[in-house]
Amino acid sequence: MRELLLVLNLKSASFLKGLLRLDARSLFKTLTSLLIFGGFAVGMFLLSRGVTTYLLDTAHIGSFLFHRFLSMLLYVFFVTVNVGNIIVCYATLYRSQEVDFLMSLPISHAKIFLIKFVDNFFYSSSTLALIGLAVLLGYGSYFNLPWYFYFFSVFFIFMPFMLIAGVVAVLTLMLLIKIATRVGVRLLLAVMVTVYVSVIYVYFRTTNPVQLVGEVMKHYPDVNAYFGYLDPPLVRYLPNHWVTEFLYWSVNGNVERAIPYFLLLMLSTVGLIVLAGLLARKYYYKTWLAASDAQAMKGMKRSSFRLRFLEFGSRPGVFHSFFLRSPQAEALFKRDFWMFFRDPSQWLHLLLMVVIILIFLSSIASFELHVGQPLMRTVSFLVVFLFNGFLIASVALRFVFPAVSLESDCFWCVRTAPVDLKKLYFHKLRYAFVLTLIVTEVLVVGSATFVGDDAFLLWVAGLCGACMAFTLTSMHLGAGSYFALYKEKNPIRVASSHGASLTFLGSMVYLGAITMILVVPLHQYFESRMFTAVGGTVWLYLPVVVIAVLSLLIACASTGVGLKSIRGDFK
Amino acid sequence: MIELRNVTKKFGSFVAVDNISLKIEKGQFFGFLGPNGAGKTTTIKMMTGLYEPSGGQCLIDGHNIHSNSLPAKRSFGYVPDQPFLYEKLTGREFLYFVGGLFQLPPETIAQRTEEVMGRFELGGFIDKRAEEYSQGMRQRIVLSAALLHDPKVLIIDEPIVGLDPRSARLVKDTLKQKTREGLTVFMSTHLLEIVEELCDRIAIIKSGRIIHEEAQNEAKQFNGHLEEMFLELTK
Repeated sequence: MRELLLVLNLKSASFLKGLLRLDARSLFKTLTSLLIFGGFAVGMFLLSRGVTTYLLDTAHIGSFLFHRFLSMLLYVFFVTVNVGNIIVCYATLYRSQEVDFLMSLPISHAKIFLIKFVDNFFYSSSTLALIGLAVLLGYGSYFNLPWYFYFFSVFFIFMPFMLIAGVVAVLTLMLLIKIATRVGVRLLLAVMVTVYVSVIYVYFRTTNPVQLVGEVMKHYPDVNAYFGYLDPPLVRYLPNHWVTEFLYWSVNGNVERAIPYFLLLMLSTVGLIVLAGLLARKYYYKTWLAASDAQAMKGMKRSSFRLRFLEFGSRPGVFHSFFLRSPQAEALFKRDFWMFFRDPSQWLHLLLMVVIILIFLSSIASFELHVGQPLMRTVSFLVVFLFNGFLIASVALRFVFPAVSLESDCFWCVRTAPVDLKKLYFHKLRYAFVLTLIVTEVLVVGSATFVGDDAFLLWVAGLCGACMAFTLTSMHLGAGSYFALYKEKNPIRVASSHGASLTFLGSMVYLGAITMILVVPLHQYFESRMFTAVGGTVWLYLPVVVIAVLSLLIACASTGVGLKSIRGDFK
Repeated sequence: MIELRNVTKKFGSFVAVDNISLKIEKGQFFGFLGPNGAGKTTTIKMMTGLYEPSGGQCLIDGHNIHSNSLPAKRSFGYVPDQPFLYEKLTGREFLYFVGGLFQLPPETIAQRTEEVMGRFELGGFIDKRAEEYSQGMRQRIVLSAALLHDPKVLIIDEPIVGLDPRSARLVKDTLKQKTREGLTVFMSTHLLEIVEELCDRIAIIKSGRIIHEEAQNEAKQFNGHLEEMFLELTK
């Protein structure tokens, strides 16, 4: 136990030391972080309270149905924490140099596992924890709950809930590596992705919110008649259900019915941690060895993926004369291309993002969002638009933010070569923007078509989407340059670093601002359309211009910061 | 060929390099010595444009590396203390990449790659990815990349560390030959026997300041025993 505490102590001391550094740059970073994280937390708190108030006081959906919605949100939250932990934990538990070092020390494998689990959990879940806590506070403030409710809920309900997601993630990964040593990585990955997507699909199929509202409203106002068969049996075994049941019975003053769910959560958390410890004792070292062997053998297997015209030293062709006009641009492009497609963590994530976008578009296609009152149409347009923005911001966070860090320790060879760093930066910005713009327009135009928006709205969405793509790309590249982690080889860890979280929150604020700019004019537009078949377009000209100017200003500021940072000392 | 004028580097209140000046002529093999943390790598990083000096100027082939960086960078090759390579690229791809950055025509890159392959015996591994390389292999690839564009100046930080005796011999012979052909070498090292074998001139740096400069005498030797002198000066 002593060595465990020693290592964890050292880690927290080093974290705090980094946080409390007193030089101007660090102070600026800390203050900016506090401002953005704090602002975001306040925003989430207000949003959570506002939505709770609206659903319970204006829409009168009732406490039971409200908690069912909450359960679905918590399920999404659970999956996000879980996936976040799975993605980062391979790098943290199996590929980190610190693990190599710890393995050479007289510390048991289970303890190393625990140390790295804690490391991984805080690294990949801290931003999500902040969001969850702000939402919980907003929810509690609606019900005027006492302080001890928050204390209890945070430490004995919310934290165990997140821990379950984290432990399940590392257990899953450990078992997957164990299985992969027998059946091979490719087959396992294919099975895993299929199973994961199916589970999420089945969950939403059985607890579809639209279907849920429809079913409940059939019994309106006697919603209780529906209670008997509302929950599918599977849902009752999920931690998100336990959390909402605890909250539901607590806010209704029935503590006796809430306690079993608290006990269920606590027992499951403790049970899973014990199980993880036992499995780690048996399998962690073996799986770590298997992962190390796989890593060592990876380079020996020659990839069969070849594109002759993009190989180094290939004869210049049509592609070169259009896109790679100078030898430097050619060298940089080919390097980035091959580095990307030879790293499975890069192209697999790209594939995953494409699948998520397709799932999103197919979901949109199944909703009937093009009918209703102007307010509903405004809300549905903005919700779809915001979700598009959220997806684009996620793509930018994952693939654009690490672009400068991916220059890695090897950046010395570019920095000491006669390469204009401004050109290098714009080379990155150009390719990142073109790719983000393609994704954005597919999303925006695709969703607008499925929703059934008219041609004018399609233009508005397309233009705003282009502004959004440009700004989010510039913002993530600029911040990625400012927070560059040249020592970090894993792009996933770069994309989940402190700086990345801050940038993502910044992009959420930007998306919020766009929504605020659009909300009133859009409503006016839909109202005009209701009464005149073609009128109303005038309402949207000014907001589009404002969005374009705002986007340009943010993009210019981000590019300035990025350029200055990329030229800074290379340590 | 290389000139440092009152170069200073501060990290906050810490002065890593304190007002140093040096002038190295064409074809000279210059050894830059000093204990750990004396400021050798910081000086080299300022000379190569990786750090911006807090004061003073670094001139390479008459060009200021910071205000006129591109011509300055065209004239030198750099071998860092840690030979970091792109793990997913092969040695040959890395050489083509560096050649592209120096805007060499593909035929020239191909021809020079063949040359360095022979000189540094890269044939056995040049088409494998860098993630498979040992320290010595990486070192040889990086040195090959530094010489690919036929630079006027070579700036090397600890060139022999990690090399087996055969590779070390190859590197030393190449450096000797290149210096005879007119290459100017600025080398930082801890290994005094290398300095005695290769260098025409040395400077010793301690706590960011140059405390001693010496050139070989007519008998092509340094005055006194280099090791004793180094230990005495840096204690």
